[in-house]
Amino acid sequence: MKELHQYSATELSALLREEKVSATEIAKASLARIAAVEPTVDAYLTVTEEKALANAAAIDAKIAAGEELGALAGIPIAIKDNICTKNVKTTCASKMLGDFVPPYEATVMERLNKAGVVLTGKVNMDEFAMGGSCENSFFKATKNPWDPTRVPGGSSGGSAAAVAACEVPFSLGSDTGGSVRCPASFCGIVGLKPTYGAVSRYGVVAFASSLDQIGPMARTVDDVELLFSTICGRDPRDATSHQYTYEKAARDLKGLRVGLPKEYFGEGITAEVKAAVLKGVKQLEALGASVVEISLPSTDYALSAYYIISSAEASSNLARYDGVKYGYSGRRDAGLDELYLTSRSEGFGPEVQRRIMLGTYVLSSGYYDAYYKRAKRLQQMIAAEFTEAFTKCDIIATPVTPTTAFKLGERCADPVQMYAGDICTVTVNIAGLPGLAMPCGYDAGGLPIGMQLIGPKFSENRLIAVAKSYETAVGGFAVKEM
Amino acid sequence: MKIDVRHIAKLAKLRIPDEKLGQMEKELSSIVAMVEKLPELTGSTNLLDPNNTMELRKDEIVPSMPREDILKNAPKAAAGCFIVPKTVE
Amino acid sequence: MSNKYEVVIGLEVHAELNTKTKIFCSCENRFGAGVNSLCCPVCMAMPGTLPTLNEQVVEKAIKMGHALGCKINGTTKQDRKHYFYPDLTKAYQISQFDVPLCEDGHLDILVGDELRTIGITRIHIEEDAGKLIHDDGRDDTLCDYNRCGVPLIEIVSEPDLRSAEEAKAYLETITTILLYLGVSDAKMQEGSVRCDVNVSLRPVGAKEFGTRCEMKNVNSFGAVYRAICYEAERQEKVLDAGGVINQETRRWDDPKGESILMRSKEDAQDYRYFPDPDLLTFIVSDERIAALKAMVPELPTARTLRYVSDYQLSRDDASLLSLNKARADFFDSCVELGGCEPKLISNWIIGDIAKLLNERRIEIADTALTPEHLVGMVKLISNGTISNTAAKTVLEEIIEKDIEPETVVKEKGLAQINDSSALEAVVDKVLAANEKAIADYKSGKTNVLGFLVGQCMRESKGQGNPNTLRDMVTGAIEKL
Repeated sequence: MKELHQYSATELSALLREEKVSATEIAKASLARIAAVEPTVDAYLTVTEEKALANAAAIDAKIAAGEELGALAGIPIAIKDNICTKNVKTTCASKMLGDFVPPYEATVMERLNKAGVVLTGKVNMDEFAMGGSCENSFFKATKNPWDPTRVPGGSSGGSAAAVAACEVPFSLGSDTGGSVRCPASFCGIVGLKPTYGAVSRYGVVAFASSLDQIGPMARTVDDVELLFSTICGRDPRDATSHQYTYEKAARDLKGLRVGLPKEYFGEGITAEVKAAVLKGVKQLEALGASVVEISLPSTDYALSAYYIISSAEASSNLARYDGVKYGYSGRRDAGLDELYLTSRSEGFGPEVQRRIMLGTYVLSSGYYDAYYKRAKRLQQMIAAEFTEAFTKCDIIATPVTPTTAFKLGERCADPVQMYAGDICTVTVNIAGLPGLAMPCGYDAGGLPIGMQLIGPKFSENRLIAVAKSYETAVGGFAVKEM
Repeated sequence: MKIDVRHIAKLAKLRIPDEKLGQMEKELSSIVAMVEKLPELTGSTNLLDPNNTMELRKDEIVPSMPREDILKNAPKAAAGCFIVPKTVE
Repeated sequence: MSNKYEVVIGLEVHAELNTKTKIFCSCENRFGAGVNSLCCPVCMAMPGTLPTLNEQVVEKAIKMGHALGCKINGTTKQDRKHYFYPDLTKAYQISQFDVPLCEDGHLDILVGDELRTIGITRIHIEEDAGKLIHDDGRDDTLCDYNRCGVPLIEIVSEPDLRSAEEAKAYLETITTILLYLGVSDAKMQEGSVRCDVNVSLRPVGAKEFGTRCEMKNVNSFGAVYRAICYEAERQEKVLDAGGVINQETRRWDDPKGESILMRSKEDAQDYRYFPDPDLLTFIVSDERIAALKAMVPELPTARTLRYVSDYQLSRDDASLLSLNKARADFFDSCVELGGCEPKLISNWIIGDIAKLLNERRIEIADTALTPEHLVGMVKLISNGTISNTAAKTVLEEIIEKDIEPETVVKEKGLAQINDSSALEAVVDKVLAANEKAIADYKSGKTNVLGFLVGQCMRESKGQGNPNTLRDMVTGAIEKL
């Protein structure tokens, strides 16, 4: 029999409304599951047990009083530890913010709280969201529930692992260059990187402001949709957020044109991944879609443009961590400069320092035009190529990652090899488009393979409709027994 | 091309130990090499984007945050202020 | 300074705008609050927080741009300027780099009798930094971030100024315009206007500019004057000794009257400007830009020149009158009502009225005084109804309450007595009491006449017509 922790958010919501289960029972089931699997998965940095039980009790009281419930009432959620939660430690998996307790709530948290969600805790990530394996956490490495000797992907590795291990039905991650889609793919779940500006960034600890987006992650497409529709829309506190409301799209794939860009199926992508994605596309054809070959010739440059823009912005965004106002503070007895140097050199991990260095370099006098300005122009070119492509097709299908989940420690020594893993996902951030990752098969070792669906700006409803049709056709996505 | 790692570190307020300078330079160089594949492009030089603009905020006061919350995460505070080592004027 | 060299000066003026809220968050923009009491997660640069640009900052800056004849860049953006210092919470200042809101303007200033036009390179908007407090009793530094995020405009002049006097006049005119436009409190003593000064020398007649030095922390009109004189002399000494000027940044210490080296060119900062990705391009419509232009009033220099040419006021009186917009507006309203000499109105405004306002530390708008009442009062003087002395009493009344000057004259019995028969008793009494003065007068010390007339004025409680009294006194003495 299906246990409570295995239900989706949509199912739990229905059970709760029918009063077949209480919010407290749901919360307890989630907390029990966390206690049971965390020794293996290591997804959580903070478990907010007391708060979760108190919130669940409040929901139960509302039900007893016959009050109206929010859309996500009583549903447990895990939040990536770079999203500020008022009075709950938000560390960014960094020594720098190891003790940081925000006195304010991120806009997405305000919206989730209003919807009645029950926060179970904050989950692990690569430090400041920089990385693709979750190994850059200062605190610990999260393991892939499909194979605990492998990485869950990153940077939102904790968010993906917690969902895949059924600790919670859904979670929030953030995606700057693939950080929601890569771990979703490695952990065999669904993850959505929304259009830039669809979800408020207020309260998300900035990595690269022009690329960062919060994204929902879940085991079902319905749950991703439910979570996304709750958090999206204009926020007056984020000047880059858009007036936008989510509307469901028709789930009929007849006439849908699926573009296959040849640049995304080239060398570097393993044969197993290619085959699984093409099989997934065949399934879409079987549902009535047609396939068109397209070309996105600037893809080759996207990774470089991505690393220039993201590192430049990161070097600037991370300048505020100086040991004065909050966070790790170094030596104070040898003058101001020594406080700066020790706070930053001891508080940031090696990958973060590497990106700050790169970003500082590309913005420094004499190099700004050659690097940053050139990358920004390339960004416009890449965006224009996508716009052109979307005159020929309605969605684009690609792999999410070139390989399936790799072994812990396997790529730590070579940053460039690690960066190459982002090849299929960064273009979506560069162009500000929505991208959805969903499972489309398994490799020989039984590890999940992901397929990415890319649409024009604010076509999340289309991507979700296609993914839902696919999910239904394949009889749902598998959950790893643990 | 040689990257002046020491100078960049100074700008970034990071202390790279001498024994790690070489490694950092190598890593930066390999990333820069990847980056230098970028084609030369022409176009607007001021990075304005008139097709993607923002709304401005109305000039209306919202109460500030209580001082104790502002100072809550301060590594060192006294007399309602954040404390830093003496700055030379 | 000798006349071998010409001094070349450019000013960067930072003025805090008097918006209700800060530039990038909704905290109140106010001077003098308790430390760290006007702060929020945004201006504290707490992780994840984002700036939103205050519309009024843009509008007020555009007004200043119009006042200085600038081209307005209605499509612009904000850039980040990076440097580490504890007064800057984000370790970057949000400013403007390559597309300032306003550029290519000019400002007319009056230096003595000369009208000079000074080029304005640009005006951009940016945020102020916090305040560092150095307490003698402590061996560390305290940070107060109330000022962090207060909106600033930076007004950069061309190197068109040629003397300390000109620089001072330029700065005075800028602050007067800020007040005219109502965009800044322009209080140098509270630090709401601050100034960096660039100074270089070149041999008289030379076309090339010399190497310049920048002086920071020049924060009063007097300090501008002193700092430039000091720096010009310092550079002259170096040049005369056969040395070369190094491009450097110096800090002006006004109490000590000297500048100290802050950093040389080799230590020049690399600010790593780039467009702030949290703030997109913004557009101010042509219609809005035009509407803001229509709100710019006649400016002080133009006003001064108009007062001189139209009303024959002296240059000094006209300047003094134009300095305060409310008072100059009041003057214009009086003149428009007509019926009396503009010169007389001006004398009252910059004389007795200014004195009363200064004593009470209020502005003309804070009083009950109306242009109608002032004109009415001046007319009463001109037509001989009241004396100047009595007018002072009338003025005190009509400044306090909304009352016709005629009513004051009636109620207080201030009407001037011109009828000599009604003054005879007064003259007799004064002469009887001042035998020595009469003797002095007769012995040729005719200047005691003023004293005697004054005594008569006092005896008549200010009501006697001084001219009538004068005639009566001389006539009476001659008859003795």
